[in-house]
Amino acid sequence: MEDNDLDRPWVTVVWDDPVNLMTYVTYVFQELFGYDEAKATELMLQVHHEGKAVVSSGPRERMEHDTSRLHAYGLWASYQKDS
Amino acid sequence: MKPFRRKGEECVAHLDAAEAGIVGLLLDQLEQLLTDAEDADDEVVARLLPEGHRGDPRLAAEYRDLTRTSLVAGKSDDLATVRATLPTGGGTLRLDADQAGAWLRTTNDLRLALGTRLGISADTEPPEELVSESDQQLAVYYWLTAVQGSLVDSLAAGRAGRR
Repeated sequence: MEDNDLDRPWVTVVWDDPVNLMTYVTYVFQELFGYDEAKATELMLQVHHEGKAVVSSGPRERMEHDTSRLHAYGLWASYQKDS
Repeated sequence: MKPFRRKGEECVAHLDAAEAGIVGLLLDQLEQLLTDAEDADDEVVARLLPEGHRGDPRLAAEYRDLTRTSLVAGKSDDLATVRATLPTGGGTLRLDADQAGAWLRTTNDLRLALGTRLGISADTEPPEELVSESDQQLAVYYWLTAVQGSLVDSLAAGRAGRR
């Protein structure tokens, strides 16, 4: 249903890659999203162990913006409709 | 190299002449990549400026139109800051918060570029001896990893200190 589709929030996903340092990824999550160290570390570990993690959710324009802020730091991010 | 340490508000490191020379060369290569990024069909450019949306070409194109110019400009500004603060001929590096941010992102871009070209995976190990050119590039990659790692640690220490 197209209408329900519009109501679904969008998410920004960070994908695991072999180059970015774990300490760096944690630092960037704190810097960009204001997460405390525990939350940022938890998300970083989720990326590392599960291959990806949702780091923010909301309207599409904001997820585009979050994705570009992550790309500015070289993280492997994309945005998509929440599934 | 003396790795980055926190000194008050600054992050301080020491590079010798050969190390500063290598960083300078890598900056030249990255600058060239960013200059040609618009029409480059290149695996490194694809990693430095990834697709914003996977699976929907229309959204991916929209994201590219919206963000590519400012992403390239941001990376170029960072690169210019690193070049301006690089102690040519070797010496001490003293970075304020903004300069440290530029070094952080640019050393990451340099590692992404090298790592992509070298096909770095989670299982890649530092080279045991420097025989081939790719051994040497891998050694540079791990050297940059140490530089960036010490910078992340000093910045994180600064943030912990402010709380």
